[in-house]
Amino acid sequence: MTNRRINRRTMLKGLGSVTVGLPLLEEMLVSSAMAAEQATVPVRAFNVFFGLGIPAPLQSEGFRSVLEPLKPLSKKLLIMRNVDQVRCDESGINAHFDGASGAFTAEPPDGEAKSGGPSIDQVIRKTYYPKGLPTGMVPTLIGGTFFRRSRVSRYVHSYNDDGTVAATMQEKPRELFDRVFGTVMLADGETDARKQRLKRSVLDSVVSQYRFYTGQNSPLGAKSRARIADHLDRIREFEQRAYAMKHKAPNAPDLPPRSKLLHGGEADPGGQGIDITLKELTDEWRLMADLYALAIQMDRVRFGSVTFLAAGERIRLTGDYLYNDKKVFEFDDANQHNASGDKGCSHEWWHKFDEKKQNTQLRAHAHLKMREIAYFLHLLDGPDAQEANGKSILENSMITISTESGDGRHNNVKRELSGVFHAITGANGRFKTGQILDIGAEGLDVYNTMLDTMGASRRIGPAKREGKIIDAIRA
Amino acid sequence: MKASMWLLLVTGLLWFNLSESQTLISGEIVPSVVDEKADQEKSASARLPKNEQLAKRSTAGLQALYDFQSASGEIVKDRSGVGRPVDLRIRSLNAVRRTKGSLEVRKPTIIRSEKPASKIIQAVRKTGEVSIEAWVQPAKANQSGPARIVTISRGSTERNITLGQDGKKYDIRLWTTETSPNGLPSVTSPQNAFDTKLTHVVYTRDRTGRTRIYLNGDQVLEEAVQGSTLNWHGSFSIALANEFSNNRPWLGTYHLVAIYNRDLLAHEVEQHYLAGPRVDAAVNDQATVAANPNAQLFNQGVAPLLAKHCLECHGPSSKKGKLDLARNSAALAGGENGPAIVPGELDESLLWVYVDSDEMPKDRPPLSNEEKSILKRWIEGGATWSTENIDPSTYAYGSGDTGIWLRRLTVPEYVATVKNSLGVDISDVADDILPKDLRADGFSNTSYNLSVDLKHVEAYARLAEIIVDRLDVKAFARRFSKSQKLTDKDMRGLISKMGKWLLRGPLEDHEITVFRGISTTVASAGGNFEEAVSFIIEAMLQSPRFIYRIENQRGDGTAWPVGDYELASRLSYIIWGSPPDEQLMRAADNGELYDRNGVKQQIQRMLKDARAVERSAQFVYEWLNLARLDNLRPNPDRFPNWDDQLANDMRDETLAFFKEIAWEQNRPLTDLLNAQLTFASPRLADHYGLKSKTRNAKGTDLKQIDLSSVPARGGLLTQGSVLTVGGDEASMVTRGLFVLKDILRGAVSDPPPCVDTTPIPTKPGLTQRGIAEQRIADSQCGGCHSKFEPLAFGLEKFDGIGVYHEQDDHGNGLRDDGEILFPGDAEPVAYESSAELMDRLAGSDRVRQCMTWKVTQFAIGRPLTPADASILESIDKAAQDGGGTYASLITAIVLSELVQMTPTEPIE
Repeated sequence: MTNRRINRRTMLKGLGSVTVGLPLLEEMLVSSAMAAEQATVPVRAFNVFFGLGIPAPLQSEGFRSVLEPLKPLSKKLLIMRNVDQVRCDESGINAHFDGASGAFTAEPPDGEAKSGGPSIDQVIRKTYYPKGLPTGMVPTLIGGTFFRRSRVSRYVHSYNDDGTVAATMQEKPRELFDRVFGTVMLADGETDARKQRLKRSVLDSVVSQYRFYTGQNSPLGAKSRARIADHLDRIREFEQRAYAMKHKAPNAPDLPPRSKLLHGGEADPGGQGIDITLKELTDEWRLMADLYALAIQMDRVRFGSVTFLAAGERIRLTGDYLYNDKKVFEFDDANQHNASGDKGCSHEWWHKFDEKKQNTQLRAHAHLKMREIAYFLHLLDGPDAQEANGKSILENSMITISTESGDGRHNNVKRELSGVFHAITGANGRFKTGQILDIGAEGLDVYNTMLDTMGASRRIGPAKREGKIIDAIRA
Repeated sequence: MKASMWLLLVTGLLWFNLSESQTLISGEIVPSVVDEKADQEKSASARLPKNEQLAKRSTAGLQALYDFQSASGEIVKDRSGVGRPVDLRIRSLNAVRRTKGSLEVRKPTIIRSEKPASKIIQAVRKTGEVSIEAWVQPAKANQSGPARIVTISRGSTERNITLGQDGKKYDIRLWTTETSPNGLPSVTSPQNAFDTKLTHVVYTRDRTGRTRIYLNGDQVLEEAVQGSTLNWHGSFSIALANEFSNNRPWLGTYHLVAIYNRDLLAHEVEQHYLAGPRVDAAVNDQATVAANPNAQLFNQGVAPLLAKHCLECHGPSSKKGKLDLARNSAALAGGENGPAIVPGELDESLLWVYVDSDEMPKDRPPLSNEEKSILKRWIEGGATWSTENIDPSTYAYGSGDTGIWLRRLTVPEYVATVKNSLGVDISDVADDILPKDLRADGFSNTSYNLSVDLKHVEAYARLAEIIVDRLDVKAFARRFSKSQKLTDKDMRGLISKMGKWLLRGPLEDHEITVFRGISTTVASAGGNFEEAVSFIIEAMLQSPRFIYRIENQRGDGTAWPVGDYELASRLSYIIWGSPPDEQLMRAADNGELYDRNGVKQQIQRMLKDARAVERSAQFVYEWLNLARLDNLRPNPDRFPNWDDQLANDMRDETLAFFKEIAWEQNRPLTDLLNAQLTFASPRLADHYGLKSKTRNAKGTDLKQIDLSSVPARGGLLTQGSVLTVGGDEASMVTRGLFVLKDILRGAVSDPPPCVDTTPIPTKPGLTQRGIAEQRIADSQCGGCHSKFEPLAFGLEKFDGIGVYHEQDDHGNGLRDDGEILFPGDAEPVAYESSAELMDRLAGSDRVRQCMTWKVTQFAIGRPLTPADASILESIDKAAQDGGGTYASLITAIVLSELVQMTPTEPIE
């Protein structure tokens, strides 16, 4: 795949001086509600997840080692060490899974496809937009490049209050593009005004029925009503795109290229892992990162999560690893393990981690992950991401970066789910940045401190638990 | 009373001793007048025409039951066992006389609920049907007003329903959308039928408005009371013996009052009359469970914490310190240090002593304060066990608070629903247009995970257009109405009937109005009938009632019986994966699904339909995750013969095998583990080394193969579709875990501390079996690995893609003997060969129970929780009594509380 960088400028070029670019852009740019909000910096919250984690001993090496790619952004990040997610452990459950579920929720999973509670981005979304986001916005965007699946919290990192996923995962760049910028097309490409009016009448009746089931006289319980309400929101979005956005732009940018990587069940053949080159992996991820960042820059998205490789990811990576144009390592997992199938995957480097040894391969993989996370963060800090208050989106948003594990060996919960890497951005001056702090606290307290600082009154975790404010992270 | 019924009753009585209190007159047992002079301590009801061996009371649809069992106090208990009890308070005890089984109102008073009768009102609103049954003896014939016997009302002019006495008539007022708020016009019994003797009075009304009054088992009136009960007021309370305005007193004696949200059928009324007014036991087990909070505490708190913290070391097989905390009797007996649990004696219970001091769990985090508090309260409260054994796998996912989720149709269900409702096949486009349903908790129909996104909404809209394009709209509309006019009356009639069919239950007025709006828009745009109906169908296809299985979920926080159309849908989606057919809808129309026998008849009929077979195949596909085969990519250097077709053949083999065992031969489901036959294409047979057995087959055709002379194969676990779970290396860990979790419903903890989990390769002198045995011998690994790796020992001769070998790639000889430890058992059982392993699995209760759990989970679309465990035991037993077949299991599931009842959330 050729990585053709898509950025805000490319998109806006499509607008020209005469007509509208992408169908939604016009509506978005002239929306008075949105225009009013542009004067101030909107509240945003995103979770950025990377799989397999950074063993705690390597985190202590600061920017000298695997965290090196984050160094250029260090003044805009608060790196938190010694954050403990042990409470997320559930006996009998794979720690990749419950550790990943704990990221951004501080709760163990509740079943294979549910978290034990909401993620912090969603708590903030509900706080600031209890009745939904402005028209035309995607309420929550979840995207990522990953292959391992089975259990959902391995790769989804935005959860509703009831622990269900907050939106559908978009794992192909083109799908994410469609989700953010696309229009929807009815089967026969309606253009006839009369027929459109009749179709609207059908849709009106559908909306009316969904409204009934979310209303006072609904026979449904709370969770079911919430689901129907969610469905109703999607219908309204559909309505907006199907009928309000009729402009087509002859000079709009092309759709992103189709993904050449494996997705869906094919990407996880029986847990055996897949062969992939570094170029294939990073080309797709960077396109995904470009599109996700673009969606933020265009203010189409304010909440959500993005994943670079799933928890417990199983890939057999090959290719030269360059950093600052210099080859620093050659990935060749299967041969370096001298094994095939799952035994030949990079995952195994984490299981073999031994702090008395060099852990060369693990360091290279972790360094690569930081390089790619940094790529995404830079997109929110560049010239296309400057805001009215003179700061970048990166600086103005609450972006939380975390992972599933502090170690990777399934041999000690305290080791594996303690010292889970966390980094956050300043959220427009709310949190300290430019430091590496040893927090020495539970993830739950860190998250609740973040929520409190962001102005959310909702607290996550058990209601009866006495929380602790981690004042050290507040600006 | 029919003569034959009396004859039957008298004949029946020959088998039993007449009790002293029964009255025999001219060879007949008749209701007797309560003898005022009789011993007051004797139950009056004992002299009534009761013969329960002949006449059982029906409990379907029962909402409230007052049988006056308490002889003292001011409370009259609702003993229906359904929902939250609506108990009544007697305002003036001086005005009444209570005996066990009766309440005599001697002076004006009121006996009323203190809160609204919400559960009754909601239930009647839901069904549109109601019955009031009363065993009463009026004190005199000249009471009027009418004098209120039973009323759900607010005062003398506002009511939902009232049964009263108006002189020599019983008078029933019912508020509907067509009657006045005072329930007028009322219906009354004929004057000549009244008597001041003990009388069985029953009022029934079905949703079509057909109303009947029965006196002493005989129908004395039939009339129509039009309208719907959807307008019933939710804030009205229930009262006996007076109106809430206290100016309509009734004097007399109550023996029983029961209210139903359905119309009791004539034969049921007759049965109830014969059964008499006495109800011997709580109608519902819930009452028993609720009566013992200590048992509830065990079920909800203690068993989960013992499973989580204690059973790894103190289970039946580990028994450290000779203590087994998984079994009631063993736990009470204690271990080598003494008694672990002494009911009521905290300080003598070593379990508490060790846990409280954090000495236990050893080398593990201590119990939280909340957990300790639960344990403490339970021991202090009597340490009641609600089950004989604790099964840790039941608690593997915690308490399992799954909430009440409505179910979206899965992709296969959506396709089947369209096909069976409209006769349109969209299977060619649906998979491309609809997003895939994602797997959660082992199945892709798990309701909490059936969320929607923009793509779904777009897909439903597009598919609605495609469906209507493929439909002969006019012909379809003719099924419901011959008229093709766009007039209001005709369209509303059509919408009502067509909507009931497509949306799987009657439409309410506001829904008809919404759809009618579409046809008026079409008419105003110059459109015709066909166009209007097309758009209405499009709208119905996008309705939440089409896309979801909408059911009532609101009530009082307890489980309520499901409504008849809801039950019809539950039956059809569980058995067929598709909507109710016309017969099932008719049964719902006629109230036949309230009758257990009616449900059984429907199940039997439905299980003979090809859709039942198809649905069972979906279960197998999900249970064994056969979709996995589409994505398998074994290392081509090692397995050059693998291709997609071989994977397809393996999947087809398993599905054909299941069909043969479960349907064609109707064998117990456990036979799936060791049946000596399979199905294979020539290619697959060759792969298995059975080429000679498919000589006449061609291409991908499957041929049944007799395996009675092939001891190594036979049963699911020897099929490629399952053997491939172990990956290229035929991992003992993965295969063993599959057997443990998906065949034996076992649970296992994380790897213990300080173990390198990196897989070890085989080499000369070291087989997978050898590696596994090393792990099992390791003191730190063996505790768990001994629970599942030996389950795969019998499969070692099958490589990663299911080919049989006597030696591995290094020339090491392979073995298939071993031993198996069934979860919950104390000792493992040895087996000599793969065939013996399969026989042991097939003969295992645990395997049978696992299948019960798996089929049930698929049926109800949610993970099972500890609270379901006792119901699953009953299902398993009922299925076993029926031969352990798929059909018997499905029957038991559908007849169980999990399907017949629905949890509710309290209405705020």
